[in-house]
Amino acid sequence: MSDLRLQHLDKIYDNKVQAVYDFNLDVRNGELIVLVGPSGCGKSTTLRMVAGLEDISAGNLIIDGRDVTQMPPKDRDIAMVFQNYALYGHMTIYENMAFSLMLRKENKNEIHQKVLAAAEILDLTSQLNKKPNQLSGGQRQRVAMGRAIVRTPKVFLFDEPLSNLDAKLRSATRREILLLHKRLKATMLYVTHDQTEALTLADRIVCMSMGHVQQVGTPLELYDTPANLFVASFIGLPPMNMFDVEIKNGQAICEDFAVDLSAEEKAMLSRYEGRTVVMGVRPENAVEGGNITVNVFSNENLGQTTLVNGNVGKHRITCKFRDWCNYKAGDEVKVSFNKMHFFDKDTTDAIRL
Amino acid sequence: MTLNNDALIKKDRLRFTKNKLSANLTLLAIVFDALYFVSIYKSDVGTYFYNWLIGVSIVYNLLFMLAAFLCEEGVKGYKMGYSYVLILLGLGQLVRILIIPMQAKNAEVAIGGENVVAMDNVQFIYVSVCLIASAALCIIAGIVGIIKTSTLRSYEAELEKRNRSGGKS
Repeated sequence: MSDLRLQHLDKIYDNKVQAVYDFNLDVRNGELIVLVGPSGCGKSTTLRMVAGLEDISAGNLIIDGRDVTQMPPKDRDIAMVFQNYALYGHMTIYENMAFSLMLRKENKNEIHQKVLAAAEILDLTSQLNKKPNQLSGGQRQRVAMGRAIVRTPKVFLFDEPLSNLDAKLRSATRREILLLHKRLKATMLYVTHDQTEALTLADRIVCMSMGHVQQVGTPLELYDTPANLFVASFIGLPPMNMFDVEIKNGQAICEDFAVDLSAEEKAMLSRYEGRTVVMGVRPENAVEGGNITVNVFSNENLGQTTLVNGNVGKHRITCKFRDWCNYKAGDEVKVSFNKMHFFDKDTTDAIRL
Repeated sequence: MTLNNDALIKKDRLRFTKNKLSANLTLLAIVFDALYFVSIYKSDVGTYFYNWLIGVSIVYNLLFMLAAFLCEEGVKGYKMGYSYVLILLGLGQLVRILIIPMQAKNAEVAIGGENVVAMDNVQFIYVSVCLIASAALCIIAGIVGIIKTSTLRSYEAELEKRNRSGGKS
């Protein structure tokens, strides 16, 4: 397994549309990096540039200390797992997994051992004589992963591998990918638009928007200390509640409520005295009891938690309460915020000390 | 499952790979048969055998090609019966040399009041080689099929036995 360095990567298509701007990332040996962002943000393009399926317009791609920017895909020693599995329908699972090694004219006995080992890791041994259309979506995706594993590549690339699976299977396959990563200790680059996948799988997350990297950090860093409004609103489910507030006399004052700031927050926001900033509150940081009145319009019970959607004055708010609640439309519930995030209204960057 | 021995790995591979060798040999046998049949009536053999034998030879040839193709698919999947059928088909190809080519070789036939040779030596050698090649390929494919299939069956039985005894060998 290997280090991967993406230095100042740009992607500009022939029609002059720029999909990726100055992408920089150092992936450490054995690290699982997740590129996350909305559709069209350039994450798949970046992955395809690493794979060699897209030309790199500017910048360098270095794998294991070797510049592979101009190298054809077959020489980069990279394996890619696609969303649509890309299995050969007329071949058995065994043949699908062995195919790339056969093309390399490797010893047949060695191929056999590699395929059996990969099948055992992925619990596919009993399926080896079947054709892809006899397997479930999750099993097919495991075959696609097995095909990558047998090659023992320097870097694994995953392009939204779970998007075709239903919710239950997605969660199971996600766990398998995590176990696989722990077992292989492989360097992996994983693209998804699903933040749950990003938060659960990643050693580090790269959050992208409009071709720009917004923040690189551990899942906790992105969740707890988002770098800007985009990251704050993209990471976390349900998304963060946002309010325009005026900082005045140690309070964050909204049209419909006021919140007292802690000493640390006062210090942090001292240069914003009298100015308007954006205050973000995660639904789970809105707790029952307090002086902010929420007019409930819907109550979604999720088992262990309840999502209560309502209005604070003219502002929409979603609260995530730990217990099973039975609020009805028209009910009033008092809440308070136990953690708040503040963002500069002009730059959208997070305000820090 | 860890396999250390090369011979054992080779046997184990049979469980997941098709018998492509036999299948490809059979396809090649069909090709040689086709080469035989497209050239057997190119001279005056047709005039010489202007009787029911022409029809029979055409029907047999079609049956051979169909049977050989079915056997090709059968041996690919390690089905023992098809290997035996292939050997029989190979023997049948050898018998075919004795029927039309041997009889027509250097035989004379009257065409337009003139005697001409129905099949010269060159054509005889050509069609004989095609049939012998086709026969040999069928027989080899059948034998390979029998060997591989028996090896696989005995290996599977061994595995089954090992599984029943709790993986102790």
